[in-house]
Amino acid sequence: MSNDASLEPHDHAPRFADDDLPAGAVVDGTKLDRDVDEEVDFVVVGSGAAGSVAAHTLATLGWSVAIVEEGPWLKTRDFNDDVLGTFEKALRDNGTQVLKGRAYMPMLQGRCVGGSTLVNSAIAWRMPEDVVDEWRRDHGIGDAITMKNLEPHYDALDRDLNVRAVADEVLGENNRLFLEAAKGRGIHATRMRRYDRGCKGSGQCITGCPNGAKQGMSVSYVPWALGTGNARIFCSCRVERVEVSGDRAVGVTAKAGARKVTLRARRGVFVAASTVQTPNILRRSGLRARAIGQHFQSHPGIGAGGFFDRPIGMNFGATQGAESIDFRTSDRFKLETIGMPPELAAARVPGIGAELTRRLASFANVAVWVANMRMTAQGTVDTQWDGRDRVTFTPNADDMRSSKKALVILGHMLLDAGAREVWPGVYGSPSVVTTHDEVEKLADATSDPRAYHFIATHLFGAARMGPDPRTSAVGLDFETHEARGLYVVDSSVFPTNLGVNPQHSIMALARMAAMSVAERASRGAAA
Amino acid sequence: MNLALTSFERRSARAAFGTIFPGADRGTLPLGICDMDLDGYLDRTLSSIPFEPSIGLRLAIWVVALAPIFVLKRFATIASLGVEDRERVISAIYASPYYVVRSAAIALKAIGSLFYCGDARVRPSIVGAPVPANSGIVALRKRSNHEIEEQGNEQRRIA
Repeated sequence: MSNDASLEPHDHAPRFADDDLPAGAVVDGTKLDRDVDEEVDFVVVGSGAAGSVAAHTLATLGWSVAIVEEGPWLKTRDFNDDVLGTFEKALRDNGTQVLKGRAYMPMLQGRCVGGSTLVNSAIAWRMPEDVVDEWRRDHGIGDAITMKNLEPHYDALDRDLNVRAVADEVLGENNRLFLEAAKGRGIHATRMRRYDRGCKGSGQCITGCPNGAKQGMSVSYVPWALGTGNARIFCSCRVERVEVSGDRAVGVTAKAGARKVTLRARRGVFVAASTVQTPNILRRSGLRARAIGQHFQSHPGIGAGGFFDRPIGMNFGATQGAESIDFRTSDRFKLETIGMPPELAAARVPGIGAELTRRLASFANVAVWVANMRMTAQGTVDTQWDGRDRVTFTPNADDMRSSKKALVILGHMLLDAGAREVWPGVYGSPSVVTTHDEVEKLADATSDPRAYHFIATHLFGAARMGPDPRTSAVGLDFETHEARGLYVVDSSVFPTNLGVNPQHSIMALARMAAMSVAERASRGAAA
Repeated sequence: MNLALTSFERRSARAAFGTIFPGADRGTLPLGICDMDLDGYLDRTLSSIPFEPSIGLRLAIWVVALAPIFVLKRFATIASLGVEDRERVISAIYASPYYVVRSAAIALKAIGSLFYCGDARVRPSIVGAPVPANSGIVALRKRSNHEIEEQGNEQRRIA
């Protein structure tokens, strides 16, 4: 046995859950040298928050599962702070997707094993009770989704992914300042609760956690599902359509380069490809419900930068570690921090040329705080002329009023915290404001969304759930109204947006749906 | 497969990006974007993004390329101007009342930022050293408008 001194460097490197995968469990579509035709109990389309949890649930209950993922498997040990590389490898269309409406809004979606959980900040929020009430009251959800029947699923997720509040040692100055500034304004703010198994505060949630700590699906539910021996994953395989025979889903057809992948499903097909891709897959599969592609909602983010006289260091600490939901019900926004890398933030740093580089040279002194807007506007999802997904969305007057209020509050908080400059990024208003009076004037800024810099995050609807096939795409049991055995379990089914980060609720609903379907399948098998 | 940039587009792109992210001669950071493999980056980007956004990138380059005609009322392209005039033109595009026009400059800045700020020779100068929380650097105190104004005056005097 060799002693430590003789070991190669890689012998000291930690091993991650995506290092040791069962032999034969991962099929890389880029390396296929023949067409594939296999049969399993369930096919799951998508390996993001919903698909991976559904697959794990089914596999754990003993069913054979094939997961089909359009993107590649990016391994934890390859993650670093390379933002451009992440855009190229992990994001759909290299991060060039936009919501089209009166203004263009960038929309970032993961396209890899783990989906957007690879590039989000791992924030765990249970569904607010008022949203559940709204779904029951206004959308006919009844008792299909209640706090009581969601609770065991949230509890299981909390345990599996080690949900906890941001620890002192990884709080970071950006988050600490936010908490203090909120307190000073009488705004209740708290440390975020996140999936955290050993966060080292690398501030790299957005480019993939290099420590595997934030428990993205590629180091949690997907490997766990494969570890049961009942699941396999087909990466870099794009699902063309769900095959429907008569009124029943019987499998999927996917493409991996020039190769055809046919996966036949004895029991059913789960579609969990995201709010944008799921409706288009349903359409390509021949479903025609009017609600497919309608009622799209989002939580567009809007934010302000603050320039301080001292280092804030957004590159250390929880990428997103502090938040306030004080305005969630009254004004439909949630305030939070975000540690942005300069590659993304620089576009919003005021100035060009010497002025820009002077500010960039002091980028360590910048804090970025944002508001996630629970907008009431609805958009659409369909396929455009070149075959790509097309999403239309325009904020309405109420959404803009709330957005301005959020910006004003963030501006005041940043100045309170000691910022020398605040960068609100509103066309027609000063690009740099330095006083509370100037911040207050932002409330009177234009309501034209083209004057603001929103980024679309958290996508909902477009195949929403409901009892009426005329107004919904999916029934209360997650099965489509049109095809038996075809289930939709991602946030497409959400009747509305939430006002809080959705990953936890997406996973809870997927888990609930998968358990329910598996139970019915067991009864059917027994009969 | 998207078509590669023409030499005119390439010259215009270098002029635009170089104005936004200048080298040490005009800026504060050790390198400018034109000291990096900007052509390679643009080629790689164009070859890997879908057709529609590639048209958007080209359109942005053309908007900036021809903007001197409208901003300076001079028959010139961005690449043919001196540095001060280029800055005037790009600043004017940023301030344009037309959304499509100012979006062109915003898009170029965003695309350039992804490349420029990630360069290993520049990035350390931008991000600085990590700052742990609870380091007790300052006690937070709300500053009055008067204090902020005084500080601004002081900075203007120094400048």
